[in-house]
Amino acid sequence: MKIQRFFKIYSIFTSQYLKRIMEYRFDFITGLIGFFFIQIIGILFIQVVFEQIPDINGWSYYEILFIYGFAQIPRGLDHLLTDNLWFLSFNIVVKGEFDRYLLRPINPLFQLLSEVFQPDAFGELIVGIVLLSISIVKLNISFSILNIFLLIISIIAGTVIYASIKLIFASLSFWFKDSRSVMHMVYSVSDFAKYPVTIYGKVVQFIICYIIPFGFTAFFPAAYFVNKLPVLFAIGGTVMMSLIFACLSYWIWLQGINKYESAGS
Amino acid sequence: MIQVENLNKTFKTYKRGTGLAGAIKGIFKREIIEKHAVKNMNFTIQDGEMVGYIGANGAGKSTTIKMMSGILVPTSGKCEINGVIPYLNRKENAKQIGVVFGQRTQLWWDLPLVESFGILKEIYEVSDKDYKVRYEFMNDLLGLKDFISSPVRTLSLGQRMRADLAASLIHNPKILYLDEPTIGLDIMVKASMLKGIRDINNEFKTTVILTTHDLQDIEELCKRIIIIDQGEKIYDGSIKEIKNTYGYMKNISVDLASLDGAGGLDLNTVLQKNTTDLQVEICGASLSVSYNKNKIQSGDILSAIIKHTPILDVTIKETAIEEIVKNIYSGKTGLGKQL
Repeated sequence: MKIQRFFKIYSIFTSQYLKRIMEYRFDFITGLIGFFFIQIIGILFIQVVFEQIPDINGWSYYEILFIYGFAQIPRGLDHLLTDNLWFLSFNIVVKGEFDRYLLRPINPLFQLLSEVFQPDAFGELIVGIVLLSISIVKLNISFSILNIFLLIISIIAGTVIYASIKLIFASLSFWFKDSRSVMHMVYSVSDFAKYPVTIYGKVVQFIICYIIPFGFTAFFPAAYFVNKLPVLFAIGGTVMMSLIFACLSYWIWLQGINKYESAGS
Repeated sequence: MIQVENLNKTFKTYKRGTGLAGAIKGIFKREIIEKHAVKNMNFTIQDGEMVGYIGANGAGKSTTIKMMSGILVPTSGKCEINGVIPYLNRKENAKQIGVVFGQRTQLWWDLPLVESFGILKEIYEVSDKDYKVRYEFMNDLLGLKDFISSPVRTLSLGQRMRADLAASLIHNPKILYLDEPTIGLDIMVKASMLKGIRDINNEFKTTVILTTHDLQDIEELCKRIIIIDQGEKIYDGSIKEIKNTYGYMKNISVDLASLDGAGGLDLNTVLQKNTTDLQVEICGASLSVSYNKNKIQSGDILSAIIKHTPILDVTIKETAIEEIVKNIYSGKTGLGKQL
């Protein structure tokens, strides 16, 4: 697909969705406020902890704030762009509504993702950017052009990891009809990635590094910027994990489509 | 050209016990049940043909259409649409087909119809010029003007079906699949839908495959019909032949006050007709009489019954597809042998 056509179709679908949610304005505004409050509570929690202990495992308050803020950005971007995967997991497949994606001459995954554009995610994105800015100033991190580039790369890679993990577990609905609960469980693992993984036991560390690699959506890349990890592992590992999981998830998705059974009519 | 060879689709389901105990048991031990939705299907459809694909509910009509449109992957066998294998090349296939599912709209629920069309125009990369021509044609044919700016969710079923039909034709597909396009429509709307389908076939030489469980729907539309039952093809041939054999069969269902009175009543003897022209079945306290309307009048049947026993209620209906399927199976016509 040509890149212009890609954006044209995307903007058509997205504007349709926005028009629709504007019709249900109340729902839209409460959603936005809700997500904002969840973020505020998360930050208050960190503050309460640090009033008691000055540093955790060698991480200072602002370093942890940096990781926490960084974590919100790939998470928010993924939330903004791939929210329809949740509907796939409990609704679109079981009701047979996936038919229509297979009947149009456009990549089904692209259609699915472009149908929903979730502004609730701005709650996470705004909090993430504010926390990141505050902690950058407080920690005196100097950003070279290279580092800005690496920051952008790791945010993109982190977003891809989020989206891939969601895609894998949403695709399970092609086999099991409803995969929402397992997807929800896996998604909750991402909460661990908001804090330094070194504070957890070995099992948890292993899981969020290699099994459900949310560690690479926040802690590992963020640790590089606060000079705690070498670039090759932190950023290189993030990019590599995102590539591996993108391919794996797309492969599972394709297998799932071939298992799709539609619904009786 | 559509080629279907030895096409099969099997769904696996799990047998589940009833109640909570059954559900819990089902978690640990599940018995797999295979349901053969389509069995060894074979047919070829030429360009520009209009074919009725007929069967009772659950016969496997939709499953076949879904395999031909790329939604379902066949369990085995071949299905080629103009040389394209639908599930391997969904994009190419999507460009050449149009699909209408009577039960489910392909349109955007909250959008005015005209905007839905606009989106489809972009998706299928239809030029402004072509779009205008087709839109005008469709508007004349299906009368879309009255509701073109209403959101799809506010349309009546008849309007929505016309809208869906128009939407499926925006990219001028070579092949049109219509899955139960007349389901739930009243007679007037049904007639205009069917006329529209015929005109489209005439104008664009579109190949049309239309599924229905109602033989009446397609009498005027399709020369050829394929009848399927429980996933298997049981008839493929002209509608004329089927009509000659069954078109004049009608059915009277008579509710009796009590069945005792009907004892000893032999309608075949009373009316002096053989079993080809008159068949009687007893179910509960009612009689189901199938008869040849060219040779016997319903009044004669009713008066013969009424002489014997009081009648509570009477229903007269055209021969249902189930009836034809039953007769094909019992080999009354020899049609089944054509396979």
